[in-house]
Amino acid sequence: MAAGLPRRIIKETQRLMAEPVPGISAVPDETNARYFHVVVAGPEGSPFEGGVFKLELFLPEEYPMSAPKVRFMTKIYHPNIDKLGRICLDILKDKWSPALQIRTVLLSIQALLSAPNPDDPLANDVAELWKVNESEAIRIAREWTRTYAMGN
Amino acid sequence: MSDEEMEYSDDDFDAYYEEEFDRDVDHVDPQKNDPEYFHVACLTDTEVERLLNESVEQLSNSIQVTPSLAKLLLHMHGWNQMEIVAGYRQDCNRLLTTAHIKPPTPPQPSTSAQQGDGETTCPVCLAPMSPDNSSHLSCGHMFCKDCWSKHFEVQIVHGASTGIECMGSNCQVLAPEDFVLPLLKLPRLREKYQQYAFSDYVRSHPQLRFCPGPNCNIVVQAKECRAKRVNCTACKSQFCYRCGNDYHAPTDCETMKRWLTKCADDSETANYISAHTKDCPKCHICIEKNGGCNHMQCCNCKHDFCWMCLGCWKTHGSEYYECSRYKENPNIAHESAHAQAREALKKYLHYYERWENHSKSLKLEEETLAKIRERIQEKVMAGTGTWIDWQYLLDAAALLARCRYTLQNTYPFAYYLESGPRKDLFEYQQAQLEAEIENLSWKIERAEMTDRGDLENQMDIVEKRRTTLLTDFQQG
Repeated sequence: MAAGLPRRIIKETQRLMAEPVPGISAVPDETNARYFHVVVAGPEGSPFEGGVFKLELFLPEEYPMSAPKVRFMTKIYHPNIDKLGRICLDILKDKWSPALQIRTVLLSIQALLSAPNPDDPLANDVAELWKVNESEAIRIAREWTRTYAMGN
Repeated sequence: MSDEEMEYSDDDFDAYYEEEFDRDVDHVDPQKNDPEYFHVACLTDTEVERLLNESVEQLSNSIQVTPSLAKLLLHMHGWNQMEIVAGYRQDCNRLLTTAHIKPPTPPQPSTSAQQGDGETTCPVCLAPMSPDNSSHLSCGHMFCKDCWSKHFEVQIVHGASTGIECMGSNCQVLAPEDFVLPLLKLPRLREKYQQYAFSDYVRSHPQLRFCPGPNCNIVVQAKECRAKRVNCTACKSQFCYRCGNDYHAPTDCETMKRWLTKCADDSETANYISAHTKDCPKCHICIEKNGGCNHMQCCNCKHDFCWMCLGCWKTHGSEYYECSRYKENPNIAHESAHAQAREALKKYLHYYERWENHSKSLKLEEETLAKIRERIQEKVMAGTGTWIDWQYLLDAAALLARCRYTLQNTYPFAYYLESGPRKDLFEYQQAQLEAEIENLSWKIERAEMTDRGDLENQMDIVEKRRTTLLTDFQQG
């Protein structure tokens, strides 16, 4: 592991490897210990079930005083995630606390997949459909999961 | 003033002004004579600090809290001491909780991992910490001092100061000044923190405003938040106390904002449409003139008409020069939506052009002033009066500028005024003011020694017209 890495990041990484969160894997990049390759399994009972979603997570210089930067790499049809994979999640913004961890962030993202929140949208068109025709939105989300998040 | 009254800063404020007015021999209420009267004090940051600290000290003494908690409370409650004291007497727990000084639920015993030898681990850096190098707010969330420092540094760099919260997740307890400052190592950061906090305090204070002048550090203090003119004593900028933009009587702040937004949005398009297009008098399609000839044929309905008067070309013939006159269209209600839109545009342009024109005239005022100075110099050299004799001309020019300024600001007001007797009265007074202003302007340009009485008479008339209009249509 790179020299000068804060104890906090080393400890968090060790714990993520030793006791992984069920349904989530987070592996630090070989060349950059602040960059994590994350894979989240679509939660059971959600339209993302069966899908495998790749994310990138980066710990900025100020971490843990500033929130990690997280982004979906796999395309996903979700009212709180936009075309570029950016996530609308309060703890990644103003509700970040240095006492939160990579682990808590990933758990929150998993929870967001189980419970989309169309009232606080990032992708407006998706949120709109989610509100006026939920079954159709769920159908599209399933289709996207099949097309983009399965089989590789 | 009794001792009791001395307790509150408002009364100190009164005293500040009363001193000044008590020296006046005749006690005339200036507000009655001058509709623009508004008394403000221009304070330096040291003076503001003193003013704020007095409030802090009073509150801290009356409810027995530390000065930095008193500061936090005052900031949260718009510097209203009475409200805080009343709230404190009623339910002090609730007051401190809603101000984010105390947590909503009493602190839990430390949740950080206990190690064998009684030492704990800082939940942020995961390094061991002892009671000496750790600290917590009223919520009991314990973190090591290094982490607190880093947290504050990052928050300050992002512009936060009075709003910095505890590091605990979901904890909204605020870090008061006396907690933050000792943990800031760099003097540069301490300075920044204090500077940001100072801005926050001024912004939350209902009687204080930053002067909007560029690089001006003056804070303006006024008793009431009204849309009145402020002249900054330091940078000389003039602005409306309420909205901080250019002073705009008789128009109110909201109308002015609407007007300026409209001007910013519409003027370019509107200018182009007005300058280059007209509606076909028969089918009302919008036509852009692309050649010099005034005989137009509509490409849509093939109607032949005159570009100047929009009359039918066939009957045009001998009356050609008549068509330079503007005729009001009385049948507007029956016209198409397109024509109505054009009529609305015409109305807007009518007011906009006048507004723009007076604004340009005002900018030329500097030149006029220079010319007057030159003329005074000439006259004095030629032995026609002394320099002192000619001072009235400079006063007249200053008055002219003031009147033009008010006149300019009557146009947005008139634009949004609904038709009716009030608007009729307003436009009547506006026309009167405009006429007298032009009169004054003419007289200033041609002033000779012997005209002085006449010119001063005109100055009096103009200023009376202006104050009448402002008094009758005073807003906010």
